[in-house]
Amino acid sequence: MGVTCVSQMPVAEGKSVQQTVEILTRKLELLGAEKQGTFCVDCETYHTAASTMGNQGQAGKLMYVMHNSEYPLSCFALFENGPCLIADANFDVLMVKLKGFFQNAKANKIESRGTRYQYCDFLVKVGTVTMGPSARGISVEVEYCPCVVANDCWNLLMEFMQSFMGNHTPGNPSVFGNKHDNIYSPGDTMAQYMELFNKIRKQQQVPVAGIR
Amino acid sequence: MSGAPAVRISIESASEKQVQEVGLDGSETYLQPLSMSQNLARLAQRIDFSQGSGSEEDEPPPGAQPRDWAAPGDAEDEEGLVKFQPSLWPWDSVRNNLRGALTEMCVLYDVLSIVKDKKFMTLDPVVQDPLPPKQNPQTLQLISKKKSLAGAAQILLKGAERLSKSVAENQENKRQRDFNSELLRLRQHWKLRKVGDKILGDLSYRSAGSLFPHHGTFEVIKNTDIDLDKKIPEDYCPLDVQIPSDLEGSAYIKVSIQKQAPDIGDLGTVNLFKRPLPKSKPGAPHWQTKLEAAQNVLLCKEIFAQLSREAVQIKSQIPHIVVKNQIISQPFPGLQLSISLCHSSNDKKSQKAASEKQSPEDHLYVLEHNLHQLIREFHKQTLSSTMMPHPASAPFGHKRMRMAGPQAFDKNDISSLQPNEGLLEKIIKQAKHIFLRRRTARTIDSLASRIEDPQIQAHWSNINDVYESSVKVLITSQGYEQICKSIQLQLNIGIEQIRVVHRDGRVITLSHQEQELQDFLLSQMSQHQVHAVQQLAKVMGWHVLSFSNHVGLGPVESIGNASAITVASPSGDYAISVRNGPESGSKVMVQFPRCQCKDLPKSDVLQDSKWNHLRGPFKEVQWNKMEGRNFVYKLELLMAALTPC
Repeated sequence: MGVTCVSQMPVAEGKSVQQTVEILTRKLELLGAEKQGTFCVDCETYHTAASTMGNQGQAGKLMYVMHNSEYPLSCFALFENGPCLIADANFDVLMVKLKGFFQNAKANKIESRGTRYQYCDFLVKVGTVTMGPSARGISVEVEYCPCVVANDCWNLLMEFMQSFMGNHTPGNPSVFGNKHDNIYSPGDTMAQYMELFNKIRKQQQVPVAGIR
Repeated sequence: MSGAPAVRISIESASEKQVQEVGLDGSETYLQPLSMSQNLARLAQRIDFSQGSGSEEDEPPPGAQPRDWAAPGDAEDEEGLVKFQPSLWPWDSVRNNLRGALTEMCVLYDVLSIVKDKKFMTLDPVVQDPLPPKQNPQTLQLISKKKSLAGAAQILLKGAERLSKSVAENQENKRQRDFNSELLRLRQHWKLRKVGDKILGDLSYRSAGSLFPHHGTFEVIKNTDIDLDKKIPEDYCPLDVQIPSDLEGSAYIKVSIQKQAPDIGDLGTVNLFKRPLPKSKPGAPHWQTKLEAAQNVLLCKEIFAQLSREAVQIKSQIPHIVVKNQIISQPFPGLQLSISLCHSSNDKKSQKAASEKQSPEDHLYVLEHNLHQLIREFHKQTLSSTMMPHPASAPFGHKRMRMAGPQAFDKNDISSLQPNEGLLEKIIKQAKHIFLRRRTARTIDSLASRIEDPQIQAHWSNINDVYESSVKVLITSQGYEQICKSIQLQLNIGIEQIRVVHRDGRVITLSHQEQELQDFLLSQMSQHQVHAVQQLAKVMGWHVLSFSNHVGLGPVESIGNASAITVASPSGDYAISVRNGPESGSKVMVQFPRCQCKDLPKSDVLQDSKWNHLRGPFKEVQWNKMEGRNFVYKLELLMAALTPC
């Protein structure tokens, strides 16, 4: 377990999502990264049920239940800017039982699938973010395995990302900033994914709203 | 009393007259009260004379006494008056009784007066049983004695019979009780259950976590119907156990490492030599040893079954061979690890086979023991995986596995949790390590015995891991141990390789090949000599001019590199140059000052005598003709010879 940075890679001009992913992976393979199977991160959205809300004015909070193939036995439940719960895989069954309080927004299911690469101490996962049937973006996750203190290896991570992402290298993720003990945990990775997915959802929603 | 006039109190009975009847109109009819005489007559009628005369000591009740006295008085008074009254007269019975009594008294008086005279009547005691007439007393005695003896004999016989019966019964009872107590003892050690009219026991390791499918049932037999007449054997036990036929005899797992592959015809026919059955512990019952032996057979079978299953499943470069009761694996090329199950039943055939060949055993007892330990660990693992208490919502499995979800273990962590090594892999690794350790020890020992100078010492650590052990190798010169301590090697012997840690921290990894270690040690020994010269020079006050562990000049060594050192005497006149190669050996040259070289041609350039102090050419020392017991000592002598006093 190490420090992870999740970022979005914009689709290259005049290229499809698939082609952009291929360009990226080719770059990685040229670097000498080793292919190690696939990965998958999925995220389901739950609304707080209307019956449980006390005040009318209070907006219902959204809860995200996520899975990551890197942590195959775990299940993550997150609120935006809120706490992150890590549970075992039985949590999904529990959510079915809690139907009265949390309602699953089926249409909002979003996931990222792709290939996992290992390059020395770095783990790189390039995935296609899909929502329903359509591909909506590209996620790039880079993990530096030997370190758990984010600030100590951020520069190294950035330098490595520059080597294959070029000028699309992201800035310091927000989760790094609001950590008081500096120790990175798997929940932080999932929070980054949640932010990324939310960003991608909003990007898509704007044009749809415009058409209406 | 006071002076007041006495108060008169008249007392009368509450009801003078008895009520005879009460009429319907409520009027009561009274009985006329009895007159005085009537009352007396009624009372007199009640006197029972027979009671008084029957027993003289009879006392009349105290209440009745005055009346009794009064009554005869009255009776006496009125006797004369009412003599001729008809029998209905109330005093009739009284009179009759009194008359009878008087008659009897008179008779008694007459008798007593006659007896008193002793003329006509005497009083004699009455003889009850007159003796029978005595005839032939001898015969009678004999007969009576005979009779009484017969009676006594009969009584004795009856008693004896009863006694013997009770003894037999007792013994039967005792045996029964012994069986029960034995059964109780058996139950303390083994699991028993009753099926129908049989008592079955369980000797399998299933309750300890074994997954071996053998049922491992034994039957408890009551062994009480033995012949009472015959002598009861000493080790007789009323309880016997019957174990399944395939668990009889004794078994053990044999692990050995052989150099060459044996003949293919030899495969799978590991000779079964019969080990003597373990002597039962004093005090331990017969069935205990029997059951323990059977359980051991079962465990050995389980180990072997597990090993052979793994041997077939695991894919290795050189496939493991499973033939009959033997598993053959090749941990290193040219080396064979054989694990075999030796099971000898008690029949004649195996005993004969055993006596045929009693080859010296090359057991690896450590591995055999470890196999047993590993299977027990395996048992424990299966047992603890379903350990209670357990959260109701959590998946079954090991506790750490259960925590893997909530603690977000990643793939690497999870795979490290899962037991991925089988029994066979572990045992092969251990065998490899054991073999490597032995070979290292042999290599070091053979080098130490072959090469006397420098000396090589090995210090083995006593406590080892099953996969790793270490040895400290010191290379010294005899007599110079204190100054020549440069080469200290720590050899960490692993499974397939040996890691050598130098004193200065360098780490060299050697493979399992014997030659590598030998070459390495040889090169270290050769370096040691040069290091020793360096140390000696320091002690002797000589100056080191040059020093090289790896000389690039001169003949190429097949092992490692030669090392060289040049030292100059304190005055600077002489210099000694030593070159030591692992293969070429040592070569020592001495450089003399020019002035001492007679055969040097006079040069025209060096006219001045001061140039004579320059050092001249090197001359080789005939090292094998030098005196001294070892290299460093010889060199010390040489240095001493070259140092002017």
